[in-house]
Order: sequence, then C-alpha cells, then structure tokens
Amino acid sequence: MTGAFRPSRRKNARIAGVPVLVACLFLLAGCASAPHLAPATRQALPERVQLDDVPFHGQRDYQCGPASLAMALQAAGRDVSVDTLIPQVFLPGREGSVQPEMLATVRRHGLVAYRLPGRFTALLTELAAGHPVVVLQNLALPAWPLWHYAVAIGYDLSGETLTLHTGMTPEREVAFGRFDATWARGDRWAFVALPPGELPAATLAGALRAIADFEAVQGSRAALPAWRALTDRQPEWAMALFGLGNARHATGDIAGARVAFRRATEADPELAPAWLNLGQLARQAGDLADARRAFSRAAAIPGPWQDRARDAREALDTEIDA
Amino acid sequence: MKRLRRLLTPLLIAALVLGSLPAMATPGTALSDLIATTAALDAQGAQRDRAKIRDILAREDVRQQLLLQGVSPRQVEDRVAALSDAEAREMAERLDQLPAGASVVGALFAVFVILLVTDILGLTDVYPFTR
Repeated sequence: MTGAFRPSRRKNARIAGVPVLVACLFLLAGCASAPHLAPATRQALPERVQLDDVPFHGQRDYQCGPASLAMALQAAGRDVSVDTLIPQVFLPGREGSVQPEMLATVRRHGLVAYRLPGRFTALLTELAAGHPVVVLQNLALPAWPLWHYAVAIGYDLSGETLTLHTGMTPEREVAFGRFDATWARGDRWAFVALPPGELPAATLAGALRAIADFEAVQGSRAALPAWRALTDRQPEWAMALFGLGNARHATGDIAGARVAFRRATEADPELAPAWLNLGQLARQAGDLADARRAFSRAAAIPGPWQDRARDAREALDTEIDA
Repeated sequence: MKRLRRLLTPLLIAALVLGSLPAMATPGTALSDLIATTAALDAQGAQRDRAKIRDILAREDVRQQLLLQGVSPRQVEDRVAALSDAEAREMAERLDQLPAGASVVGALFAVFVILLVTDILGLTDVYPFTR
C-alpha cells in the first residue's frame, strides 16, 4: 500500500516545483532587460559605431585572454602576436588568465591600461571615441562560472546590439540585455589599452594610478606624454602636475619640473609632497630662501609628510648657518 | 701585547667609524631625494617602509605561485615585474579566487539543461546554437 502512494506523492512534489521554477526564471529574466540609457547620454553618442581596424584572433582552447590582448594591443599599434602573449599572460595551472596579469601585460607592451568604471555608458563612450574595450564576462551562472574575455568593437543603439570579437567569432552581435547580464556577472570589469599620449574618454578617475603604474614599469621617458596629456586635459589637477614634475625631473628637465611642482602647489596648496619636491629642487639650484619657504609650507601641513618636511627645513637651516 | 693593542685600537675605531658612516649618511641622501609619484599616491606615507616590505614579500609570494601554476621560470621575473604593487598584493592574497578567463564549461548534464534555458531567456551566453 505504502508503495503505491509513494510515486504519486513524488509526482505531486514535482508538479508543485514547476511553478516555483518558472517563477524563479521570470525573476531572473527581469535582470536581463537591456540596460537603461539616459536620454542625454543617448543623444551624445553616435547612433552606430564599428571599429573596423581592430584585427580578429580566434582563441585556441582556454586562451581568450591572450587572444583578446593581441587584438587590443594590435589595434593600438603594437606588433605582438598571440603566441608571444601566451607565455606572458596565460596561467597553465588555472587554464586561464587573471585580471591583474591582463593589465600588467598591457604595460609590458608599452601601453597604459585604463580600467573603466562598471557602467554601460562608459563602455559605449569609449567605443564612440574609437577605443576597443576588453571586457570580462561570466557567460554562464555564478554557480558554474564560465569566465571569458572578449573585445567590444562597436554598437548599434537602435538595434540595441553590441559587436564583439569573441571566442572563434569575429564581429558577433549580442543584444544589450544579454551582454549586460553576462558582463554584470563579471563585476562589469573592462579596460582600454592606449598609447601614453591618449586618454580614456569615459572617465579620468583611475588615470593617475594607471599612469603611475605604467611609469614604474616603462620608465619616466615613456610616461612623460601621458602626464602631459593628463595635465593638458586637467590643468588644475595637482596630483597630475606632481606626476608631471617627477617625470620631467627623471628625464633631466629640472627647470620644467620646478614649474610643474610650482603649479601643483598653486592648484592645491595643501599638497605637502609638491611643496617638499619644490623645496628640494630650489635647494639644489641654490635658491635657499625659496627652498626654506617651500619646506615651511610643507611643515605646516599636518599628515604623513610633516616629519620629513621639518627634517628638511632643519637640515637646510644648518646648511644656511654653515 | 700592550703595544699591539695600542696599535690596533685606533685602527679598529677608525674602521668602525668609517663602517657606520654610510648608515649615518642614509637619512641625508633620502632627504634630498624627491618624493616619488607612487609614494605620494599611497596615502599611508608614514608607513612607507612597512608597506614596502609587505610589497616585496607579496611579489616573492606571487613568484612562487606562478611557478606552481606552471609558468616557465624564464617568464616569471618579467611577469612579476610588470605588476603594480596593488596587483601583486591582490595576486598574493587571492590568486585562487580570481576569475581566470578561459571559456570552457563543465559538462554536467543538469547544468547543461539549466544553462540551455537561461541561454534561451537571454540571461547567459554559453551555447551559440540558442540564437
């Protein structure tokens, strides 16, 4: 008797599960709607963009990282093949490539890697500016992730599609909604790889750090055009002027460095490192009164540089007395 | 013996004083250096030295991990050198949790069915034949 009941009870449970499953899927489907674009942004963007000069490289197994990098680097004028990139960025133990090394490899090839903010409009803005965008997607679900790098090369606003060089397919058109769902599961991670004189169009929020990291790998001479471009675009940005001063100093342009540090202190009188570096250069040039004034300004600003500023002023005073 | 000591003592003193001179000179030279852009960007200026030591250890850690993951020893140095300090720390702390772009999915049948449905709904992008 009990044996006869069991199957029917199981059947009931299965029937009950169907609406639950359907409900879950509808909930999920709500997330896949196309990302909302503000009318103003929509108007500022061209209707269609297609970057035809981005070459395509089909990935071999697991190697979408090196393939995507090759496309982005070649589009920016670097002659580097997928075969060169595989030993530089692929992790055999993980059968894939990780984000920090993707950015680091861009740097190794003389380009600055700018991370983009995780906004759909930022992605479109970069494409409209002619910059291909490398994106990380999770093509499957969080429980069974399928991590994938692709290169966005265009979009169509009225058709609501994004064009990707992805996997084995060049110029694949993906609906905004589907793309945004997979991109969101990768934390909306994306970057552009640009030559040192060019800047991202969407935002300059992470530019300081991106250029400083580039400079640490490629040296100040290579980074100088990037600092110049940043200070041209943001003439009142004290930290950018500070970076420009250091890069000029490292490449032997002492007078230019002093000008940049001076401008940095004018843009932000509370930037103690700029006062310190300005004082140091004045001291080396023999302008001891200028140096003392700059060190005193630095010493008056509370914070991590105050001790160093006081020491510098003291050392200068003994130098003046002697 | 006494004579020998009288002879050796000034020599020893001179050697010790000379030996300690570079150490005394170090703060002076550091003071005349400019502050680097990365140092100014890192807010924790006061803990610069400790942060620097931590970054060196992190890079060493990443070096070991890359070797373990099968990166050829010839490549490891260049790969570690290209990382920024923050990236090296991230790699050292959570390399095994970082997503590795690879694009191959496990072949479980149940997973296949679920992903097939979500693909058709436009949530995922796994199987090209659903479009």
